[in-house]
Amino acid sequence: MKYTLAIHGAPYASQSAQHGIAFAEALLRQAHTIERIFFFHEGVLQALSTPVAPQGEEDLLQKWQALSAQGVELAVCIASGIKRGVLSEEERARYEKTSNSLAEPFTLVGLGQLISAINEADRYIEFPA
Amino acid sequence: MKKMLFIISQPPYANTHNAELLEAAMVGAVFDGEVSILFRDDGVWGLLPNQHGDLIEQKTFSKILSALPTYEVERLFACSPSVADRDLSISHSPEIELLTLKQQIALIAAQDVVIGAQR
Repeated sequence: MKYTLAIHGAPYASQSAQHGIAFAEALLRQAHTIERIFFFHEGVLQALSTPVAPQGEEDLLQKWQALSAQGVELAVCIASGIKRGVLSEEERARYEKTSNSLAEPFTLVGLGQLISAINEADRYIEFPA
Repeated sequence: MKKMLFIISQPPYANTHNAELLEAAMVGAVFDGEVSILFRDDGVWGLLPNQHGDLIEQKTFSKILSALPTYEVERLFACSPSVADRDLSISHSPEIELLTLKQQIALIAAQDVVIGAQR
């Protein structure tokens, strides 16, 4: 089946990401496909390049990057993202901020990408904070 | 296009989730989705009249609500027990239908997808 997932929680602040990542890995192991993972609300902070994993915890950014390496699209709500400081180089320049903060390979996209991914998928699953 | 139900269950000014969900609902309608919105639990506080978000330097939630019909989001529902428990007199502009728990079960069962999960 084709799945769309949404992550709503910030890194290391809730289990939102751990649950989403484990679910996504299980889907791929069972030969399901993932249309897109969409980062919404505080979930957009998962796309920051700057968090430092607490000692003894796994690095979430590396986990997201590993999913991306398996072909999973990581899409960040641009409206939720930029107000929380998640800036691509393009947005950094547009708003004249000193540094960008969007980690590779996340992309900033509009809410239309959430709706179209929900439409394309057989199942839509949210991971709230 | 899918039948999408957005569930608003948090108070309107505690965080920006409700406003962000309404934005998603409007985009869903723009994409020709059949969009419904259900207010329940503390989400029903967002239905009070005479809101003044400007006093706390936030967007007024009821103003975002009143824009929904412009986006052809016209299926608006509220949980009747949630409203009664809080003893609220909710605004009926835009028009909102009060539902019992049984009616909410039927509403949810009729959807392709439900958006806005809470722990």
